[in-house]
Amino acid sequence: MVIGWRETKLKSEQNTRTIDEINEKIRKGDAQVLTAEEMKHLVESSGVEVAFREVDVVTTGTFGAMCSSGAIINVGHSDPPIKIEKAWINDVPVCHPGAAVDLYIGATIMSEREPFEYGGGHVIEDLVGGKEVEFKATAYGTDCYPRTQVNTRLTRDDLNQFYLLNFRNCYQRYNCAVNGRDETIYTYMGKLLPQLRNATFSGAGELNPLMNDPDYETIGIGTRIFLGGTQGYVIGEGTQHDPKNRFGTIMVRGDAKKMSPEFLRGAAFTRYGTTLYVGLGIPIPILNEGLAKKTAIRDEEIFTSVVDYSVPRRNRTKLAEVNYKELKSGKITVNDKRIRVSSLSSLKTARKIAATIKSWIQNGDFFLTTPAERLPVDSVFKPMRQVQEISFVANVMQNAVTCSEGEAVQAIAERIVTQSVNHIVVVDGSSKLTGIVTSWDITRALAQGKKALADIVTRRVITAKPDEPLETASKRMAQHNISALPVIDNEKKVLGIGTAEDVSKLLGR
Amino acid sequence: MVRILLRFSEKIVEEPIISHIILELKVPVNIITAHVNSKGGEVLAEVPDEALEKLISEFRKRGATVSIPELIEVDSEKCISCGACVTLCPVEAITIDEDASVVFDKEKCLGSTCSACVDACPSRAIKSVKQNNSELTANNPH
Repeated sequence: MVIGWRETKLKSEQNTRTIDEINEKIRKGDAQVLTAEEMKHLVESSGVEVAFREVDVVTTGTFGAMCSSGAIINVGHSDPPIKIEKAWINDVPVCHPGAAVDLYIGATIMSEREPFEYGGGHVIEDLVGGKEVEFKATAYGTDCYPRTQVNTRLTRDDLNQFYLLNFRNCYQRYNCAVNGRDETIYTYMGKLLPQLRNATFSGAGELNPLMNDPDYETIGIGTRIFLGGTQGYVIGEGTQHDPKNRFGTIMVRGDAKKMSPEFLRGAAFTRYGTTLYVGLGIPIPILNEGLAKKTAIRDEEIFTSVVDYSVPRRNRTKLAEVNYKELKSGKITVNDKRIRVSSLSSLKTARKIAATIKSWIQNGDFFLTTPAERLPVDSVFKPMRQVQEISFVANVMQNAVTCSEGEAVQAIAERIVTQSVNHIVVVDGSSKLTGIVTSWDITRALAQGKKALADIVTRRVITAKPDEPLETASKRMAQHNISALPVIDNEKKVLGIGTAEDVSKLLGR
Repeated sequence: MVRILLRFSEKIVEEPIISHIILELKVPVNIITAHVNSKGGEVLAEVPDEALEKLISEFRKRGATVSIPELIEVDSEKCISCGACVTLCPVEAITIDEDASVVFDKEKCLGSTCSACVDACPSRAIKSVKQNNSELTANNPH
């Protein structure tokens, strides 16, 4: 005992501390725990050295939409037994990845009766909240599993195993989303108003678990965490883990029977689909001064990109860099324009999670673990290998026949005939798009005796960008019931025109 | 107070109908939003409960269409204070307070004439609900 005490004493004078020492303090009820927000204040006022000496653990938290989440359940065997082929819970198809009665409820799978409003995330929330759900399954029937269908009702207590098993959670940081297009778009980053009229972001910034240990010194397989209101575990790096770009993720597991709907909420994003809000927090043991310094990271030190989600490509245009302090302030500046910005994840619940872990540790209800293997720090997130060429607007773009606003209807009618086109793009002196007229507009104008182009030109023009996939351009033409799209660059300069005819030729329909 | 939505057709939009009615009935009519041009107009106004019936019949007599817009209500049990609705509100009726809670100001809200926040709520906590005097929404038969 005496020797053990001496070792502890010696260590504390050195510049390290071990998980065992911290757990011993937790057992005795004298571990010093601060939330990440409190730690920043302490380091600011007293410095890293004092913070390291005084603080054993810093708690973090985040509560956001995490689509790569789900739950594994085992529903038990029916009599006669069934080898499930297809299954539904509350009309949400659930995946059947294994043997007879093991199922996986994916958060984004949508109800067949109420798609986009109710889905796997809601099923998980309902089960976690103790609600009874409708269970239906069908099968082809085998000699050993003769039954071909089953209908029943289940609650979480009827399940053998009910584990939250999320393959990608807790992004270290995330993009800030805007929409550069002329119409509102609905995305997994929420509802984005046209022409950068709003912005959304996700993530808790300085409270984010991985941001407080960005080199994953203390996080890895077996790290005990807060998950959905109870204690869960990190089981490895998450899919798409991208540590070099500070987009780390984790894979987690926890007993959903012990979770609470307060920290696990089904959600619906209009025209995107359903998902699950997951409450997650990690206690960071302050093993050395470096960790004391890292856990003092501030919102203003965490940067992310403002990304235009109207660009239908994998690499969307980045318009600006902003930090989480600006994001949390409600306003950001992009291209000299002030834009209102708000969060999609709940800072309020993130704070509650960090405070909950703190009280668990202070009450001796939560002990820290040493990871069996740390998260990788050098893995790469690769794009998909594609073997099929895909076509872009640039592939079908032709030179546009243009005119200027001041020209007479008669002159344009002649141009339509000589050039044999149906669309004339109206441009100003510097080739910038100002409108469009069709052969139909001209025919009507001539019939009605209208002479000035200005009276008949369409000014709200639906356009395309050259690097836009043909598929989305084609969809937009159909949606607006039009037969051509002027192709413009970011400065609205006309580059050409794409017609429905050329598009369908290339798409083969 | 009750919110009413007045619509004026192209034919009557030039007439000072609201001012006439205020002077005649001596009832305060608080205009919240107004979109008026030569083609017609739409005005969202707040009027005292007790004068509602009288006002509606006066407006209708003068050719205006009157309806009672629905109000926006937030289910605080469902709301997770994420903030997805905040930037969509054109009148800044939704804000985030010190402790990161989303706060909704019913007084400022434009109700169902706007509804921009409703389909942006991931937890579907925002709903359009009828005002108490909704029986008056039925338009005059003539």
